[in-house]
Amino acid sequence: METDSISLPAQQEAKQIDRADLVVGILTDLDAEAMMALRDALRTLPGSLRIAVVESDDRNQPAAPASEAPPDSPAVFFVPAPLARPSGPGAGPPSMAAAYHSIFATGERLQSRGCCIVASKLESATPQRVCRLLRPLVEGDVDLVVPHYARHRFEGLLNGSIIAPLTRSLYGKRLSNPMGPDFGVSRRLLQKILGTERGSRAGGNGLHPLASLAPAALCDNLQITEVHFGGRVHRPPDWTNTSSLLSEVLGPVFLDIERNAACWQRTRTSVTVPTVGEPVPVSEETASIDTTRLLDSFALGNRELQEIWGLVLPPATLFELRKLARTPREQFRLPDELWVRIVYDFALAHRLRTINCDHLLKSMTPLYLGWVASYAHDLEMDHFVGPDQRLERLALAFEAGKPYFVSRWRWPDRFNP
Amino acid sequence: MWEQVKQALTQSTARFLTKSASLLPGLAALILAVLMSLVLGWILAVVVRRVLASLRFDERMARWGFASLTDGSVLKSPTLFVSRSIFVLVILAGFLIGIAAFDFEWTSLLVSGILAYIPNIVGAVLVLLVGSLIARFVARSVLIGAVNLNLQYARLLSEGIKWLVIVLSVAMALEHLRIAPGIVELAFGILFGGIVFGLALAVGLGSKDLVTKSLGRDVKRASSEEIEDPLRHV
Repeated sequence: METDSISLPAQQEAKQIDRADLVVGILTDLDAEAMMALRDALRTLPGSLRIAVVESDDRNQPAAPASEAPPDSPAVFFVPAPLARPSGPGAGPPSMAAAYHSIFATGERLQSRGCCIVASKLESATPQRVCRLLRPLVEGDVDLVVPHYARHRFEGLLNGSIIAPLTRSLYGKRLSNPMGPDFGVSRRLLQKILGTERGSRAGGNGLHPLASLAPAALCDNLQITEVHFGGRVHRPPDWTNTSSLLSEVLGPVFLDIERNAACWQRTRTSVTVPTVGEPVPVSEETASIDTTRLLDSFALGNRELQEIWGLVLPPATLFELRKLARTPREQFRLPDELWVRIVYDFALAHRLRTINCDHLLKSMTPLYLGWVASYAHDLEMDHFVGPDQRLERLALAFEAGKPYFVSRWRWPDRFNP
Repeated sequence: MWEQVKQALTQSTARFLTKSASLLPGLAALILAVLMSLVLGWILAVVVRRVLASLRFDERMARWGFASLTDGSVLKSPTLFVSRSIFVLVILAGFLIGIAAFDFEWTSLLVSGILAYIPNIVGAVLVLLVGSLIARFVARSVLIGAVNLNLQYARLLSEGIKWLVIVLSVAMALEHLRIAPGIVELAFGILFGGIVFGLALAVGLGSKDLVTKSLGRDVKRASSEEIEDPLRHV
């Protein structure tokens, strides 16, 4: 029988742990009660496992009281580490990347079989979510467990409009949230990511774990499983910072496309991945959004950024955008095919370093907001079409447009419609 | 009397012809140096043009923000600009070598004066190039940032910033060339100060209502978004 060590000074306890079967990284705010619930939930996992829970050392919550672990159940250790939490001050993708790296490094140091990272707030309880991410790693030969959150109409739009369909069309697997941020990762994938990270850092080309996990697993044909969760609690948007968000999120994604060019050019079609659990239904939503500001931004970008877009987009696309800017607001629709080409052209320009990467990605903001407005109009006009059906249509357009991207990627100068 | 005039004339003609004859080797050397520099300059210009073309210099310069550096001038391409500059520089060097061959005191002084001034020219050109690069980069950053903030006067802001940086770099280049430094300093101070003062006045007085409305709208928008906006990007 082992005694949990939560009540001991954490630092002292961390030194005692030299091996763990599983490492759980908590990047979200959990109070002492939730931590106790997490410990109890982890004890329900099969086998006599040693589980290290890595949590931020700046938590102000009091330590959970110690309790005796039942026989033959996993022993849970809490390890404090300097982790940045998404809700913390100044937390953004770069600090998230550092936190992921820190947890992966702990996993490697403790020679764990796998890692689980929980970074988002969910409408449902966190402890059960951790176990659902860990179970496929413990019970099966799975290398990456990715979440499938219940989708609300106007949430996770960057993922729905670019990241998920792009991953699907390029790498051939239909993942609804390839960038997590909650993940279960096997030792094999963890070592690969850490190895690639060291290599890329030596080459001066930083790797972002959030963006690279799914592509790395997909390119190596590793086993991936999706786990159905409820809805995520998203952070409220910072409208003055949408362009920075776009730059921080899409930069690593485009870099990964560049890194894995040899892999995704071989993929032709997409398939689903095994899923665990049942889709969680979301409540009926009637919220509508005012697209005036989005369309204002699109129109302003269309007027002022032509010079920059002209370096990235072919003349035909520019012509269509100019035409779109003249359509009445209520009829504004950005066709999927056009949006797909825009995304592909920006990914190509990122690879060719046509202009400064930060400028490139930030100049995409008005186009993205135009897509959001078009998406909102679509959903509001047709009440029978839910976000899943709408985004499925977009994903198919991404797949249909892949030959265009491959051609432009291979012959950027020759193939310029 | 007539004999003396005749003798003076003969001596003067002889002196003139002797002096002129002594110029001939220098003149020949000058013509030869210019001809050789023409040939050498042409060869160098062709080589440089081909090397830069193979390196896609024009495209690279366009990416770095020099696309419109020579807009409106005869030299549309940075490659042509560089190769022709090299051509002219080589001819200039040949001319200076030729001039130095005359072996006069004033030609030596002229050559050494010009040579001593070359570092200033190079420095000024570098300052202008770097200034232009920075101006374009900053202008692009400001333009994108202002558009993303939905500022209707984004282009105006971006152009204003660009010209501020360009004016600053031109003033620095002229200072480097030691061309009327006092006047340049004064003119720059008046111009730069005038622009900043003008902007301050425009914001403070002329556009007071516009700015108030704009800020008020932004604040109202920000506060209403926190409560109502259902959009979530990540």
